[in-house]
Amino acid sequence: MTDRLVELGGVPALGSVYARTVLSSGRLGVQRRLGRAPAPAAGGGAVLHVGGVRVDATRLTDYQHLVGEPASDVLPAGFVHAITFPVAMALMSSADFPLPPLGMVHLSNHVTQSRGVRVGDELDVRAWARDVRPHRSGTQVDLVAQVRVDGDVVWTGVSTYLAKGVTAREQPGGATDDEREPFVAPVPTGRWQLAANTGRRYAAVSGDRNPIHLSALAAKAFGFPRAIAHGMYTAARALADVGAARGEAYVWTVEFAKPVLLPSSPSVRVAPDGDGFAYTAWRPGSSGPHLTGRVDPLR
Amino acid sequence: MAASKTAGPATSPRALVLGGNRIPFARAGGAYAHASNQDMLTAALDGLVARYGLQGERIGEVAAGAVLKHSRDFNLTRETVLGSALSAETPAYDLQQACATGLETVVSLSNKIRLGQIDSAVAGGVDTTSDAPIAVSDRLRRALLDLSRARSVGQKVAAAAKIRPKDLAPSTPRTSEPRTGLSMGEHQALTTAQWGITREAQDEIALASHQRLAAAWEQGFFDDLVTPYRGQSRDGNLRADTSLEKLAALKPTFGLGLDTPATMTAGNSTPLTDGASTVLLGNEEWAAAHGLTPLAVVVDAEAAAVDFVHGVDGLLMAPAFAVPRLLARNGLTLADLDYVEIHEAFASTVLTTLAAWESEEFGRERLGLDGAFGTVDRARLNVHGSSLAAGHPFAATGGRIVATISKELHRRRAAEGRPVRALVSVCAAGGLGLTAILEAV
Repeated sequence: MTDRLVELGGVPALGSVYARTVLSSGRLGVQRRLGRAPAPAAGGGAVLHVGGVRVDATRLTDYQHLVGEPASDVLPAGFVHAITFPVAMALMSSADFPLPPLGMVHLSNHVTQSRGVRVGDELDVRAWARDVRPHRSGTQVDLVAQVRVDGDVVWTGVSTYLAKGVTAREQPGGATDDEREPFVAPVPTGRWQLAANTGRRYAAVSGDRNPIHLSALAAKAFGFPRAIAHGMYTAARALADVGAARGEAYVWTVEFAKPVLLPSSPSVRVAPDGDGFAYTAWRPGSSGPHLTGRVDPLR
Repeated sequence: MAASKTAGPATSPRALVLGGNRIPFARAGGAYAHASNQDMLTAALDGLVARYGLQGERIGEVAAGAVLKHSRDFNLTRETVLGSALSAETPAYDLQQACATGLETVVSLSNKIRLGQIDSAVAGGVDTTSDAPIAVSDRLRRALLDLSRARSVGQKVAAAAKIRPKDLAPSTPRTSEPRTGLSMGEHQALTTAQWGITREAQDEIALASHQRLAAAWEQGFFDDLVTPYRGQSRDGNLRADTSLEKLAALKPTFGLGLDTPATMTAGNSTPLTDGASTVLLGNEEWAAAHGLTPLAVVVDAEAAAVDFVHGVDGLLMAPAFAVPRLLARNGLTLADLDYVEIHEAFASTVLTTLAAWESEEFGRERLGLDGAFGTVDRARLNVHGSSLAAGHPFAATGGRIVATISKELHRRRAAEGRPVRALVSVCAAGGLGLTAILEAV
């Protein structure tokens, strides 16, 4: 990867990033249909960098209350994700990003929280894309965000996205297939009551105002019958359900399967499993889960 | 002879104060404006857990409470434990005795330890006036409940039709006494006038509180008693640079409608405050097993109450009755106390209590003694400042006082090698008072 460090003056406002994203998606889409746009390339690009990021304690408290965390001075890993997200989005909406950003599907997320990040810490945020690779229904890419405090990497998040129907130029070995085992619903430990405004409320604290989460009308434009919950909101709820048992250093993973159409009251199981916790959320009677994941202490 | 299976232990275990932790107290609407009671209590508890290495420990029991409490917080303490780093198998209960809540958690958990029911405990308290519960009016509440029970359309319309626009105004919690309609400040203004307490004397108490608390912070006394929270690292109400001149310049706020001059100001009354505190308790065995140094023994406690409703005694005068009973039971006098901690609800609360104890008439007629109960040496009174400077998040005050004075007791005993005792006295709404004796270990 060519580490071309691009300095951003600050964490970009997501509203403008989304606006640019819509424009560039539209432009690329049109160009692709006309056969003029380059097919997505695998590999290197820019590393976006924003230094000196401070945590807004009020926003943190609102986030913690929404996802069910106590308003501790230690940032939940999902809140760090929310801080880094606009930088990752800016990367996706930059002209040389290989895939059309809007309408990309968030497949999975892997966060390594190697040390607690606290209110008052000064965060150094970097984001880059890596590993553009084929998927059975398109092309996937990893967006890596990394946070340093006092020079040490304290948080690394890898978000894997899928651009449906987009074929990468290089497809060594053909499209990967990720057949899942048949889903057997476990014994639930609880249920989430997700109101119709869940997406709007999470958008307010996370800044992620992707229209598919905000209203049924906007979601329909992207092929969903109703607004869908932010995947990272549901994963954050699961992380909160694990609670303080996770410690300050942990690995938090999630794989998103079926979207949560709002309103919804999915069953959840968050339970000890091995050295850590495993979690699943599903709609009773459904053939598959909404999401599955783990929270494991980092040793 | 074989010991009976039902016989208790030969000697009761002692209840020891092993440490404490609180978050800095913040002025209402300040750094903790959006933090809930549960958030603040969790922060104080997790700080305690971190300080004493109790991650994942199953504690005997945790008891805490809040004076202003949302109805959804019916299990506030247990929910706090579940959100904390303690073992999820730690039992907990809520307790509420107005401003005596924090001290009563210490007393009741200590009693369980002394009975051998538990070997360890965390006592605590929290209050927020920034995130106070706001309820709907009684008329609206009744109409909504009727509406939810209504079956037919006619019943629903009838229930809904009862709602009037004025019913929609929210009802905020008030600190006035339900039976007299007077706020706590107005009640204390009556007591202040009754005992002839001057403005100057009250301002001197307030000044000493700020100066002593500031000195304790400067000396690092609170470094192992407080965990910073939300950017606040010291008590937000503390005014290290205040002076008698500044305090004298403040306008009176209570007792304005009385025939005597109003003397109580914002400077010599406690402000509305947000905060939380915790105290770690345990028996000797548990302390030793966890490598913890006991600071003090919870020796005994006494509650009292007064009939303020009919003006027999002032609202906040109950400790004036509790302390003589407590000391007599333990064979002690005021002279046997090295420290006297009287919660500064108002500067004049401290002064009216001291005046009552110094009064021959009060001693004979109200306490049934031969004369005056006695005099408190001012040098032993609230040595590290108290609520006037620190602020007073109602239920959190007891834990602040117990942790602070326990550390001081231990320090003094280590320095002088003799028994050292402290009295803790907290007045509360409803004419309540709770007092306790702590002795250095």
